[in-house]
Amino acid sequence: MGSNLSKNLVNQPSLMAFYLRIALGLCLALASASSEGLRSRTGLMALYDFNESQGTDIKDVAGVGAPLDLEIEKITQVTRQKGALKVTARAMIKSKKPAARFQAAVKRTGEVTLEAWVEPANLKQKGPARIVTLSKDGSNRNLTLGQEGNQFSVRMRTKKTSTNGIPSVDTDKGTLKTELTHVVYTRDRTGRTYLYLNGEKAEEKVVEGSTSNWATGYHLGLANEMSNDRAWLGTYHLVALYSRDLLPHEVRDHYRLGPNAKTAPAPELAKADPNEQLFDEAIAPIFAKHCLECHDTATRKGKLDLSSKVAATEGGSEGKAIEPGHADQSLLWDMVQADEMPEDRDPLSPTEKALLKEGIDGGAKWATKTIDPLAHKRDRRATENWVRRLTLSEYIETVRSAVGVDISKEATELLPKDLRADGFNNTAYNLGVDFEHVESYAELASIIVSRMDVEAFAQRFNKRIKFTDKDMATLLQRMGTWLLRGPLEDHEIIAYRGISTTVASGGGTYHEAVAYIVEAMLQSPRFIYQVENQRGDGQVWPVSEYELASRLSYMLWGSSPDKTLMDGAEKGRLYDRVEVEKEADRMLEDPRTIRRSLEFASQWLNLGRLQNLRPNGDLFPNWNPVLAGDMKAETLAFFKEVVWEEGRPLADLLNAPFTFTTQRLAEHYNLAVTIDRAPTGLQRVNLDKDKARGGLLTHGSILTIGGDEASTVTRGLFVLHDLLRSGVNDPPPGVDTTPVPSEPGRTQRSIAEERIKSRSCGGCHQKFEPLAFGLSKFDGLGTFLEEDHFGNKLQDDGEILFPGDSKAIPFKSSAELMDLLAKSPLVQENLTWKVTQFALGRPLVGSDTPHIEKIHAQAQKDGGTYKAILKAIALSDYIQSTRTEATNES
Amino acid sequence: MSTSSLNRRTFLRGIGGVAIGMPFLEEMLATSASAAAATSANASAVPVRAFNVFFGLGIPAPLQTEGYDGVLEPLKGLKDQLLIMRSLDHVRCDESGINAHFDGASAAFTAEPPSGEAKSGGPSIDQVIRHSHYADSLPPGMVPTLVGGTFFRRSRVSRYVHSYNLDGTVAATMQERPRDLFDRVFGKVDVADNDVRKERLKRSVLDSVVDQYKFYTGARSPLGNVSKGRIKDHLDRVREFEQRAYAMKEHAADAPPLPPESKLLHGGSADPGGEGIDITLDELTTEWRLMADLYALAIQTDRVRFGSLTFLAAGERIRLTGDYIFNGEKRFEFDDANQLRASGSAGCSHEWWHKFNPKKDNEQLRMHAHMKMREVAYFLERLNEDDTREANGKTLLENALITVSTESGDGRHNDVKRELSGVFHAVSGANGRLKTGEIVDVKSEGIDVYNTMLDAMDAKRHLGPTDREKRPVDSIRA
Repeated sequence: MGSNLSKNLVNQPSLMAFYLRIALGLCLALASASSEGLRSRTGLMALYDFNESQGTDIKDVAGVGAPLDLEIEKITQVTRQKGALKVTARAMIKSKKPAARFQAAVKRTGEVTLEAWVEPANLKQKGPARIVTLSKDGSNRNLTLGQEGNQFSVRMRTKKTSTNGIPSVDTDKGTLKTELTHVVYTRDRTGRTYLYLNGEKAEEKVVEGSTSNWATGYHLGLANEMSNDRAWLGTYHLVALYSRDLLPHEVRDHYRLGPNAKTAPAPELAKADPNEQLFDEAIAPIFAKHCLECHDTATRKGKLDLSSKVAATEGGSEGKAIEPGHADQSLLWDMVQADEMPEDRDPLSPTEKALLKEGIDGGAKWATKTIDPLAHKRDRRATENWVRRLTLSEYIETVRSAVGVDISKEATELLPKDLRADGFNNTAYNLGVDFEHVESYAELASIIVSRMDVEAFAQRFNKRIKFTDKDMATLLQRMGTWLLRGPLEDHEIIAYRGISTTVASGGGTYHEAVAYIVEAMLQSPRFIYQVENQRGDGQVWPVSEYELASRLSYMLWGSSPDKTLMDGAEKGRLYDRVEVEKEADRMLEDPRTIRRSLEFASQWLNLGRLQNLRPNGDLFPNWNPVLAGDMKAETLAFFKEVVWEEGRPLADLLNAPFTFTTQRLAEHYNLAVTIDRAPTGLQRVNLDKDKARGGLLTHGSILTIGGDEASTVTRGLFVLHDLLRSGVNDPPPGVDTTPVPSEPGRTQRSIAEERIKSRSCGGCHQKFEPLAFGLSKFDGLGTFLEEDHFGNKLQDDGEILFPGDSKAIPFKSSAELMDLLAKSPLVQENLTWKVTQFALGRPLVGSDTPHIEKIHAQAQKDGGTYKAILKAIALSDYIQSTRTEATNES
Repeated sequence: MSTSSLNRRTFLRGIGGVAIGMPFLEEMLATSASAAAATSANASAVPVRAFNVFFGLGIPAPLQTEGYDGVLEPLKGLKDQLLIMRSLDHVRCDESGINAHFDGASAAFTAEPPSGEAKSGGPSIDQVIRHSHYADSLPPGMVPTLVGGTFFRRSRVSRYVHSYNLDGTVAATMQERPRDLFDRVFGKVDVADNDVRKERLKRSVLDSVVDQYKFYTGARSPLGNVSKGRIKDHLDRVREFEQRAYAMKEHAADAPPLPPESKLLHGGSADPGGEGIDITLDELTTEWRLMADLYALAIQTDRVRFGSLTFLAAGERIRLTGDYIFNGEKRFEFDDANQLRASGSAGCSHEWWHKFNPKKDNEQLRMHAHMKMREVAYFLERLNEDDTREANGKTLLENALITVSTESGDGRHNDVKRELSGVFHAVSGANGRLKTGEIVDVKSEGIDVYNTMLDAMDAKRHLGPTDREKRPVDSIRA
């Protein structure tokens, strides 16, 4: 049961991080493939070594996905021997099904390699005679390697060449000989193309244009065109197709290795240790959920710390807790199996127990250095590849950018609010759709179109105002590419063309037709969602140029790509990392990035909560509801100042010694500064005279999290969750969680200390309540006081134990606590986590750790600013790649 | 294939197990009688009605000479109600550089070349008659003009719309699904024609939206499983929206049962870039016959007196398969793509017209044309049943002016004159105004034939230029 169970669990579409790790590992492992006498496997999609000596089948031995086997139509036209297929008379050899997977891969990336070891029968064959072809007939092809007399000739379809792949790339006359020849055609994303003969470059050219017009339904053929009229005679020893451009040294190596060389092992051989995977995906979440409450670094009950590999291996006061490979000899398993652990808590479920046993029996191999209590508890399904619906703000901005209409008022009124999940409102799995959405999208589309100058809009894409197929198709393709953020497929052109013909058949005008088409496009999944290709071979693929443009623009701007970005995608510039970096730099300077960053801050700190602030009038008789708005404005202005005006490291948000305030807010806060401006205006003030205040945590917007009583519970949990990326379990059922009010002689701090000392509560409360002690002098609405309203003296000293550390650090005041937090590497890293989560629109889990660490390291190297973090994310695999789901198609 | 016709008797028997009560019959008769009474000076007269029936691709002139022994065989049962007109030409409608699928189709019923992509050069005969006899308006509750059809090729409007206003614009929105036509006739939409049109166009927007969401949940979707699930949720809600916005419309109390949802391709997907679609004979005729039944019922219940009905567009591109049975006998097996040994547009039945050779048997073309005549006859027979007899004892077919035509007299695009000559026409007697029971070689231009028909119908205007010399075609007048 156990092994099946784990297999099922780990076979679920897993985390991108995991795949990236595998892919990275593979790349490293295979980089030296040819130097070890092996042909390269990276990007290999089909391989024919002609090792069958009889029969009509030619096997695809690439070992990647479903094989693309070939079939010889008439066996009498060929002779076979192991390692060679000699075509002696007009033959037809073609794949049993379309080469869909390969063609789809090239269509997306623009990278391709066609490699062959062949021996032409004569120098007279022309047409060109088809050696290898991916085509439909004599005039429709994606790629063909042919012989034109004594030259090799390659035709490849792009948006700049014809559907017949013309102009071709040819070797010089006389370069093709009737001898065994290694011929390789490569093209990279930028269009740089090489034809190699016997390991040396024979021709170099730029074949411009995107490959987005590649058909995916063509068969792979050898020795003839599909129409049976361009036969080639000669001998094949090897044919290989790659979905990337082999590098010159790889081509040389392949030539040196000869036609009979073996290929580097298949990816399965390099995959992660299943036991490590099991730990990461199943055991760590069990520890996080059931064990770390008592057995983390802070608590270490029985001196056992299960939060890190090193500590767990050491064991506790009763000796070694885990005996790798032997659950039955492990103390931990004994206690869990007998339901003696967790103590005073629900036991593990049978499934969890089975997984734990399997993990220990399998070697207890920890893939994660430290268990992240939050990340490892998250349901991994939340991180699956959910197509992202545009959030309300993204919808508004996309409409503004796409058609120049401000729909914010109506969209805000009509569309349901995006609900908060895992700390943000843009979490993809939670961006569901209700009937109200559909109804609103239809109504909004109609309103948007009514505000457009439809004809002028259409003329941006096609000046010819005609209903003809050709003119409409041109308009639809260009207009659709803009509105839907990438080229349209034929089926889409057809669907939208249906609207124009219906309008025409109803006696409608061109204007009307375009209006209805735009209305339809605005309701299309490609407009409402960030639609990307998610299908493939289960590996990590680079994203297409248009997908990259959209990812960058939604990540940085929360809006659709602008013209520059779309041009970059169309011209293939986004395939160049240097160009992407330039684009990222350009976009980071755009005001939309600032607007987007404020949205991040607002969601992260849940500033929307302030509009619902209703303090107890008895406790706060002077409360003015306008102050809630001032508090929100203060935090956003402060964020903008730190991040954009001063370009400080993001961690300075926690201790920068200034803020923005209105006259009334300053009075409410009891600030010592004097405000000169009009009472409603915000102005920056230095907090030299208000040493206790400085940084986000001392803003009313955050302090009010504590409620009227300035609860150290909710304030402490905020610090624990949102700054230290840690957590505790929910209180046990039946516990009274009503905030305990202060009273004469009893402050919130003293009440907290009582809880910490309590046996039933202290285990958890000691982890977070002390984090709020530094804020004790701020009342429930953020006013700084030395005494509470009962006259109890307040104190803001304390000590902080950072998760993972064994020793607490003392602080004497709020300001010292803020400095400690700002300087903490854990806090700094967590800020990167938060920005990344918002950028990706999904919660991060344990296996994201190495990737975030990489992004964080790069960002810190570049100053640790918000911009540096965003740029590092933009250039990371998170944005540049996509994890595909395997399909059964070849 | 659905072979049961949908007429008054059928309704009384109940369709699909749903019985229709007597009030429907009573209302129907009352409506018919009152409408007739209200619009005719002569109480014994029947209402003036005119309909155009179009079928795609035509019948090459040489085959028409075979009379009812050739491809016209299915019309033989109606020969006493019809006048077959041969040797009629529309050469004047030739538009340079455009083949007859467009200009010939535009010429049908208008005798005018097209005027732009979505407009005819002039009105169609049914509309000229409508405006002559009902200058102000039709009786209340009546659909002014009903345009329907089963067709796929959509690149230019005149390929499939065959009712045009006096200014050459389309006379009514095309109803291409039986359910749409049903809603148009029996739906309780008490609004101006323009709003019905707008609703139809909005519907086409929603159709394309549904198509898009269906694609992203289907086998060719680029999305992974969880994403497909999310889009599927969205699609379900779009369908709910569609249902609430359109399908749940209230229908007249006397309405027959709502016809089933169409299973054929419509909108843009019916004409994928001119490449044609695969379809079985059963699929094609099932929907067409439902459409024909509903259209006939609309006439029988006097909800409509003018309009047009299309069976396959001009230059239609379908790859038809299936056994062709006529009168219980298997005549042929349609299998266009395989018989043509081609795929895409080159594998469509259209190609048989391009390959027409008068010296050869042209079997496939003959069978397609024969099948089309069978289906045209199906519709005409619905109007010729005993229970359609009106006050004068004649059937609806006999009393109405029903003109049947097509786009060309030769499918090859190598001779404009020949292509637009010999365009097949058949016409009903229009309550004794035109001859029937004959096959006539009119040897005239279509415009003169049409104007003669209009004269016979007491129309107040003619087609074509006002200064054109009148050339009556007496051979068709009764």
